[in-house]
Amino acid sequence: MRIFLIGAGQVGTTIAEALYDEHQLTVVDLDASRLGGIAHRFDVATVQGNGASRRALQEGGIRDAELVIACTSRDEANIIAAMLAKKLAPAARTIVRTANPEYLEVWRERQLEVDFMVSSEEETAHAVSRTVGVPAARQTDVFADGQVQVVEFDVEPGVRADGVVGLPLREAAIPPDSKVASIIRGDQAVVPRGDQSIQVGDRVVIIGSPEAARAWSALMARGKRRVDDVVVWGAGRAGTAIARQLLERNIAVRLIEADRERAREVADQLQSVRVFHATGFDPDFLERERVGHATAAVFAMRDDAKNLYGATLARLHGVQLTIALAHEKVSVEVFERAGIDVAINPRQLTAEEIVRFAHDPRTQQVAMLEGDRYEVLDVTVRPESALLNRPFRQLPMTGSLIGAIVRDGRAIFPHGDDVLLPGDRAIIFTDARRATEVERTL
Amino acid sequence: MTAAAQRWPTARRRRGGVDVAAAANLVAELTTYLSAAFALPTAAALWYGESPWPFAGAAAITLAAGLGVGRATRGRERVGLREGFLVVSLTWLVAAAVGALPYLLSGEEQLSSPIDAYFEAMSGFTTTGSSVLTDIPDLPRSLLLWRQLTQWLGGMGIIVLALAVLPRLRVGGRQLFQSEAPGPEVEPLSASIRSTARRLWLLYLALTVAEVAALSAVAVTDLDPEMTFFDALAHALTTMPTGGFSPRGRSLEEFGAATQWVVIAFMVLAGANFGLMYVALVRRDGRALLGNEEVRLYLLLLALAAAVLAVDLGAHGVAAGEHAVRAGAFQAVAIMTTTGYASADFAVWPALAAAVLVGLMFVGGTAASTAGSVKVVRHLLIGRILRRELDQTVHPEIVEPIRLQRMPVEERTVRAVIAFFLLYVTLFAAGTLVLMFDSEIGGLGLAPFEAVAAAATTLGNVGPALGPAGPMGSFQPFGDASKIVMILLMWLGRLEIVPVIVLFTVRYWRK
Repeated sequence: MRIFLIGAGQVGTTIAEALYDEHQLTVVDLDASRLGGIAHRFDVATVQGNGASRRALQEGGIRDAELVIACTSRDEANIIAAMLAKKLAPAARTIVRTANPEYLEVWRERQLEVDFMVSSEEETAHAVSRTVGVPAARQTDVFADGQVQVVEFDVEPGVRADGVVGLPLREAAIPPDSKVASIIRGDQAVVPRGDQSIQVGDRVVIIGSPEAARAWSALMARGKRRVDDVVVWGAGRAGTAIARQLLERNIAVRLIEADRERAREVADQLQSVRVFHATGFDPDFLERERVGHATAAVFAMRDDAKNLYGATLARLHGVQLTIALAHEKVSVEVFERAGIDVAINPRQLTAEEIVRFAHDPRTQQVAMLEGDRYEVLDVTVRPESALLNRPFRQLPMTGSLIGAIVRDGRAIFPHGDDVLLPGDRAIIFTDARRATEVERTL
Repeated sequence: MTAAAQRWPTARRRRGGVDVAAAANLVAELTTYLSAAFALPTAAALWYGESPWPFAGAAAITLAAGLGVGRATRGRERVGLREGFLVVSLTWLVAAAVGALPYLLSGEEQLSSPIDAYFEAMSGFTTTGSSVLTDIPDLPRSLLLWRQLTQWLGGMGIIVLALAVLPRLRVGGRQLFQSEAPGPEVEPLSASIRSTARRLWLLYLALTVAEVAALSAVAVTDLDPEMTFFDALAHALTTMPTGGFSPRGRSLEEFGAATQWVVIAFMVLAGANFGLMYVALVRRDGRALLGNEEVRLYLLLLALAAAVLAVDLGAHGVAAGEHAVRAGAFQAVAIMTTTGYASADFAVWPALAAAVLVGLMFVGGTAASTAGSVKVVRHLLIGRILRRELDQTVHPEIVEPIRLQRMPVEERTVRAVIAFFLLYVTLFAAGTLVLMFDSEIGGLGLAPFEAVAAAATTLGNVGPALGPAGPMGSFQPFGDASKIVMILLMWLGRLEIVPVIVLFTVRYWRK
């Protein structure tokens, strides 16, 4: 595959390292010395220039690219680069890195012509969430004003889902109002027939109601200890993203922020978080607020040294689980040597997620483009469809799956006895080769 | 002339920090338009065969004075932020003077003293409803109607009305609007203040017409033989502005149960948020109104107060059954919404009931209603501020915004609410002391709790007090000094203190 990589910082370098062996890489960056470093280590072509400039992209030969990854630290430059790429290389899929949760939201609502968007903050929040034992759902698609969600989970070792994992699907206790749309195992996607089962290490795609998504989230939780009190140091973008994610999972969060104005801003935004204006290094403060009793302490400040110091202090105060962000690659090892339980490198995570996407068999399904293997369709059922008025249990199982029906603006999650009516909108997960056939049948 | 002076024509001529002439010019213009209000009582006088001259004369004087001052201050039309406070405060002083003219010109004996006439007019425009009259039905009907009309004009606000119709106020209107409109922050219904003002007045007019219709229906269906069309109109004109004047000597006591229940319903509406009511009506969705924290608390407090009164009246055998429920509900609603009607002489009610009623004088309606007093939203905010203070004593580093409807409230607004409440309490205490002092010297023999009630009722724009100034009594016996103090309290209360009280600070007048 011909891959165009814009941005040769820490994220770009990690991606290049993972992909250069199997693919043809062209790397664009403003900084010649960074390009020199990357070209020295890996066998890639380099172009010095602005990734958001048409000339630089054309010069690099973007016309033939199949995948364009824009991962500079500037959100707007990344988006413009991806948009230009869509025009200059119509066949290419685009991946954009962003730090702004609003862009992510806009992209999810399909207002941005980008195939995949990754946010370091969001990935970091997922990672923290997983570490404290409540895995975050990766929401990929939303239909019918949020009534139908397409969500995916990593099935990690030690999940509590005894009634689901390892059992044939027809016997598994699947939460109501949800269906397993696909099971991703390695780079294979398994059609979820009744005799198939979910295994540890899989990624599962679920179509269901928001409540069902929460039920799945609970199922996929690890361990028995309930997490109910997490203290987060630093209310920057990463800190607030972590707080938001944990809140969504009903975990009480306390935020400590040293900057008064930022503290107020975050307190305004997050109603149920208790925000403190403090450095978080004052032993009196830590004692007064009983920080030692927290189930976990997360250090999301910008400075690795502060994160390390804070985490060590928190351990002294008796916190059981310390998680710290390590912005520099080398810090990960330093942190682990120092006894911090988990060190998270946001850029590393971002790069990993981008690489995973590049390898994902369903890449094009997420983007809903033609020509790849899987798609989620949103089809209105025609009055002359052959599938009308037949109970679902009688419909053939063919690798396409109707996850939900939207009738009169309300979502229904069909059971065996339900029937399709003309005018229904069906949310369907399907093999892309069958997409046209599915659309014709309906 | 220098270039700078050309660009800022008033800068050269303005001596102090405030352009008094410019403010006077705008007040004069507003006054001029006010003369049109005499059309209704003039027509009523002709219809009932009474003398129209008090109104024609008052209109002529108003017009002449307005045009005269307007001419003298011509060319001074730039009203800035500072002049805004002066304009609002002066407008209400002048409006009360205009309102007093027909009383004086009519030669009516009860209102022959200028202070009494001015008290009655200020009580009218500020929608207080305290009266110096001792024999109300003795007045000519046209004069009674004028008395009702002053309250109706003052209810939604003279300046809000002017904003809706006068093209000149397109500039700088927002601040004038906020100074006069009730509540800490009235949320504009539209991007333009002008159309917000129009919508508020439209709803106000519509509700008044609805009440006239409802009370007329009571009259036509003979549910209440006492009710006439004149009474329907007169009471609608003073219910919607939460005014409380009645052309009847014993207020609503003279009417039957049907009338009283209708009036209770409209008083509850008058004390509720007009902006939210407008949204609820236009979108046909009551959630905007009933989902509002302040409106919920308002309704809860009304229900609670009504229940306490009903139980107390029942326990003392003052009333029983439906009558107790109705009397409790009517009086709780009438006092808390600062309307000030009475369906019974509560001055002779048991002590608990009297104490509850005086307490309710400090509550008021919701923001953006026509009610006066402190207003429910401020009580709600103060409760939350206190809760935060307590939280902060235990957790000194906590950062906790005060929220209203889940939205964070700016700290500036929080401070303004505290300041307002402190000013309110201070003025109330000072007013009480002066009334006590004057009563001791003048030999009025006011009991302390009666002085408390009189200060609270005038500052809160409620109307009746206790003792001699009770609902069936009159403010006539008070001395002139007391009357002037109460006039000031009504004026301060209606404009929510701050726009008036800044005029009494040195820094306001400095450059």
